[in-house]
Amino acid sequence: MGSEGAPSSGGADSDAPPAVELDGVTKRYGDTAAVDDVSLGVREGEFFTLVGPSGCGKTTTLRLIAGFEEPTAGTIRFSGESVAGVPPEDRDVGVVFQNYALFPHMTVGENVGYGLNFADPPAGMSRDERVAELLELVDLPDAADRDPESLSGGQRQRVAMARALAPGPDLLLLDEPMSALDAQLRERLRVQVRKIQSELGITTVYVTHDQEEALAISDRVAVMRDGRPEQIAPPRTVYRKPSSRFVAEFVGDNNVFAGRVVDVEEGAVEGDDVPRIAAVDVGGEILRVDIDDVDIEPGDRRTFCVRPEYLRIGDGESRLRATVESAEFLGETTRVTLDWGGRDLVVRTRDPLSGEVVVGFDTEDAHVIDSDGA
Amino acid sequence: MADASRGADGDRYTLRDRLAGRLRGRLLTALAVVTSAVLVAAFYYPVGTVLIEAVVVDGAPTLGVFAELLRDPFYFGEFARLFAGESPLAVARALLSPDRRLGIVGFTAYQAALSTVASVALGLPAAYLLARFEFPGRRTLRSLTIVPFVLPSIMVAVGFVATFGTGGTLNGVLGALGLPPVDLMFTLEAIVIAHAFYNAPLVARVTTAAWESVDASAVETARSLGAGPVRAFFDVVAPQVYPAVLTGAALTFVFTFGTFPIVLALGGFELATVEVFVYRLVRDLNYAEAAALAIVELVISLGVLLAYLRYEAKNTVSSRGVRPLPRKSLIPSTPSLREVLPRLGLAAYVVVAGLVFVAPIASMVLASVTGGDGALTLDHYRFLIDRQQTGAAFQVRPWPAIRNSLAFASAATLLALPMGVVVAVLTTRRFRGRKLVDAAAMAPLAVSGIIVGLGLLRGLVFGVEIAGWRFAATGAVAIVVAHAVAGYPFVVRTVAPGLEGLDRSLIESARALGASRARVIRDVELPLVWPGVVAGAAFAFAISIGEFTATVVLATGADAYTMPVAIERFIGRRLGPATAMGVVLLVVTGCSFVVIERLGGETRGL
Repeated sequence: MGSEGAPSSGGADSDAPPAVELDGVTKRYGDTAAVDDVSLGVREGEFFTLVGPSGCGKTTTLRLIAGFEEPTAGTIRFSGESVAGVPPEDRDVGVVFQNYALFPHMTVGENVGYGLNFADPPAGMSRDERVAELLELVDLPDAADRDPESLSGGQRQRVAMARALAPGPDLLLLDEPMSALDAQLRERLRVQVRKIQSELGITTVYVTHDQEEALAISDRVAVMRDGRPEQIAPPRTVYRKPSSRFVAEFVGDNNVFAGRVVDVEEGAVEGDDVPRIAAVDVGGEILRVDIDDVDIEPGDRRTFCVRPEYLRIGDGESRLRATVESAEFLGETTRVTLDWGGRDLVVRTRDPLSGEVVVGFDTEDAHVIDSDGA
Repeated sequence: MADASRGADGDRYTLRDRLAGRLRGRLLTALAVVTSAVLVAAFYYPVGTVLIEAVVVDGAPTLGVFAELLRDPFYFGEFARLFAGESPLAVARALLSPDRRLGIVGFTAYQAALSTVASVALGLPAAYLLARFEFPGRRTLRSLTIVPFVLPSIMVAVGFVATFGTGGTLNGVLGALGLPPVDLMFTLEAIVIAHAFYNAPLVARVTTAAWESVDASAVETARSLGAGPVRAFFDVVAPQVYPAVLTGAALTFVFTFGTFPIVLALGGFELATVEVFVYRLVRDLNYAEAAALAIVELVISLGVLLAYLRYEAKNTVSSRGVRPLPRKSLIPSTPSLREVLPRLGLAAYVVVAGLVFVAPIASMVLASVTGGDGALTLDHYRFLIDRQQTGAAFQVRPWPAIRNSLAFASAATLLALPMGVVVAVLTTRRFRGRKLVDAAAMAPLAVSGIIVGLGLLRGLVFGVEIAGWRFAATGAVAIVVAHAVAGYPFVVRTVAPGLEGLDRSLIESARALGASRARVIRDVELPLVWPGVVAGAAFAFAISIGEFTATVVLATGADAYTMPVAIERFIGRRLGPATAMGVVLLVVTGCSFVVIERLGGETRGL
C-alpha cells in the first residue's frame, strides 16, 4: 500500500522522519474506537488527504494531530519528535474549520493578525504588513477592516485560511473547509488552496468526505473506514487500483464483480511482457481479467472491478449482455444503469441506449482487488 | 541535512513547554479551587455551623430537636399527627375538615403554591403578548420584565403598603367612588399579589424566550399535515413552551417558599412563613430550633429545585437556527371573532397588569410627596435631611445607608463576577459530576438568608479560631461576602447560556493560533458573552442593593445598615419617611442600572 508515486514537492531526504507520523494511534470514546490503531506518515511539503464517509474517524484523526484531543494509545510525532502532552497552542499548526470559526467580534484584519500575538511575523516585516501579505495571498487585499459577518462564504473560507497561515505554521490542517460552499465555488477554491499550498510548500492534512475533491487536490489520499485507513496511496492508484472493495466503491463509480477463478494463463516466460490473465466465472459468464502479479490459483474466489468509463458498448475482450434499466443525463456523458442477471452495472456513454445491449471491457482495464473483497 | 534538522527539531518541545502546557491546562482547576474556597468560607462553613446546632445539643448528637419540631402542630399542623404516629387516614380526614390547621410549614407551602399559581396566571398573558405580537415599545417592555425581579423587596413592600394600606391609594380611589374601604394589609391576598408582582415577570420572561424559539416551520409542517391552528398550537407550540412555564413555576415556588421581607412587612407575625419564624427564633436566641426549622425549609426548597433540574436535563432542546413565528399586529386584520377576541383579552390583561405592576411604585412615589392631610408636600424628604443632620448616633440616618448600599454593592459585584464566570465556564464543560457542581454552586439560591446571615455573624464576625489564630471579619466584610454569594448564581445563569452556545471551533482556532486556554477566555469567550457578563454584573449589583434578609441579621447594632434596612426601621414607625427612602432607593437602583447598561451596551440573557 502506498508504495507508488513520490510526493510532488518537498524533495526531502527519504531517510528524514515524516513531518507528521501516527504510530498505532487509537482514540476511544467509551467503548467505541473513533480512531483504531492508525499508523501513517505525512511527508514534508505533502498535501495529504483523509477521505471517507461520515463517522470513519477522519476528523478525529485531524483533531488528534492538532492536539484538541489526546490519543488513548499510540504516539504522534512531528518530524520525529513526540507531541504527547503538547497543547495545541504550542504545536505550530494552522487549522481551518468547516464553519471557518472567524472571531465575530474582530475585523478581518484582527482575525488574520490574531496568531501574531503569539508568534513573530517574519523578520523585517511588521504585523500589519504580514496581515496585508496574507490577505493579498488569498485575494482579499482590501478586506482588513471589514466585519466577518459581511463576507460571503467563500471569502470567509479564504480569511480563515489567511488566519491559519499568518503565524507561519509548520503544518496546515483543513477540516472540510469547503463543504459549506456551493459546487462551482468549491471547485474554484480548491484550485486556489492547492496553489497556495504549493507556493508555500507547507505540509497539509486535509479532511473531506468528497472523494472527487480528494482525488483532485491531493498528493496522497488515505481512504478511511471504521477508524482505520483502508488504503493510503496517490489519487491515481486509489482510483485505478483500489485495495479493497470498499475503496473501489467509495471512490468514484465502479462495477464490482465477484466470482470463482476457473483458469490462469501464465505469461510464457518470467518477466515477459505477456500478461497473466485469469478467467473468472461470474454468475455463469466467463470473464477474462489481467491479474498482474497478484497471487491467484484456479478455484480461488476473487473480486475485480471495472470503471464505467472502461465498459464499452458492443466491444471489449470480455463481453456480456445486459438490459438498460435507467439513464441519467449528466451533460458531457450519460450514466446508464444496466441490469445483468440481477446485478447492476454502470456505463458512461455519449449515445442514448435502450433495450438489450452488449458491453465489454479489455482484460487490462479490469483490476483484481488484492484483499478477499468481503 | 536530515540529521541536522533532526537535532534542531529535537529541542522543539522542551520539558518546559510540556510542563507549561500541563500547568495552563490546570489554570481553570486552580481558579475553581479558589472559587470553591470562597464558597466554603462564605457559605458552606457558616451555614454548616448554624445547621449543626439542630442535631448537636450540648455536644451530643441528637435528632430530638427534629422529632419535636415534626410532631409540633404549630409547625406542621395536621401533618404533625402523621409524624406523631397517627394513621394517614385520620390525618387525611383532619386535612379535609373545615377547621384544619396547616401549621407554619403548611401555610408557607400553601402561600407559595397560591403565589405560584398567581404568578403563572399573570405571567402567561404577558408572554403571549411579548412573543406573538409586534407593537411599538415591545423590546423595551421585554427588557422591563427584568425590573421587578431586581427591585429591592422591602421597597416593593413599602409600595404595597402605600397601595393597599388603610390610607393607601386603593382605598383613596374606592372612597372617591363612594365605596366602602377594604383592608388588604396583613392578609394572604396582599402577600400573594406582592409575590405575583415579583415572579410573574420571571415566568413571562422564560416563557417568552421559549415561545420565540419555536420554529415556524415546525408549525407550518403541522398545518400542512392537516392540523388546524389550535391543534397545531397544542401539538407543536405548547410542548415546547410548557417546560419553560414549569421552570418559571418551580423558581417562583422556591423563591416564595423562602420569602421574608414581603411577609414581614405585609403579613407581620400573624401570617408568618417559615423564614419569618426562623428570624423570630434567631432573635429569641433559640438557635437549635431555628436551625432545625431552616433545615426543613432547605430540604423542601432543594427538593423542588432538584426535581426541577432533573426535569430540565431531560427536556432541554437546542433551538439553533430557528425561524421564529411571525408576530401579529395588535390591530386585528379582520373583524372576525378569532382575531378580535384574543386582543380584547390582552387589553383586559393590560389593565390588571398595570394595576399590579405600576400601582405599587406609583403609590410609593405619590405617598412620599403626600402629607397626612392629603396635600402635596416635601415633608418626608425634609425629615430625612433633618435626620441626617441632627439624628442621634443610634438613629438611622439616610446618607450612611446610601453610602453603605453603594459600597457593598460595588464590592459584592466585584467578588461575584469572577466567581460566577468561573462556575459558568466549569459547568458548561462536559465532565462527570457536572450536575453535582452545578447544584452545589446554586445552593445559595435555596438556603435561608437568615441562616447565611447568622452563620456569617457567628462564624466570621465573631471570629473563628484555626490553629491558634483568630480570624474575624467586620460586619461590612461579612455583608459583602453574603451579598456576593447571593448574587453570583445570577452571574452564572446569565453567562452560562452564552458560553454554552459558543462554537467550540472558535476556541480551538484560537488555541491552534497559539493562545493558551486562559488567554482564549480573555480574547474570545468573554468578549463574545460580554452582554451576559454585564447583565450578570447588573444582577449582582441589584441583588446586593436590595438584599435584606442576611443584611438585617449582620447589620444588627453595627452602623453597617443599608437602604433596605433603613426602610424597614422607618416603616415600623411612619410610612412617609419609608416611602421617601424607598424613592431614594428606587433612584439609586435605577441609576446603577442605567450606568451599567451604558457601559456594557445591550444586555440580554436570563
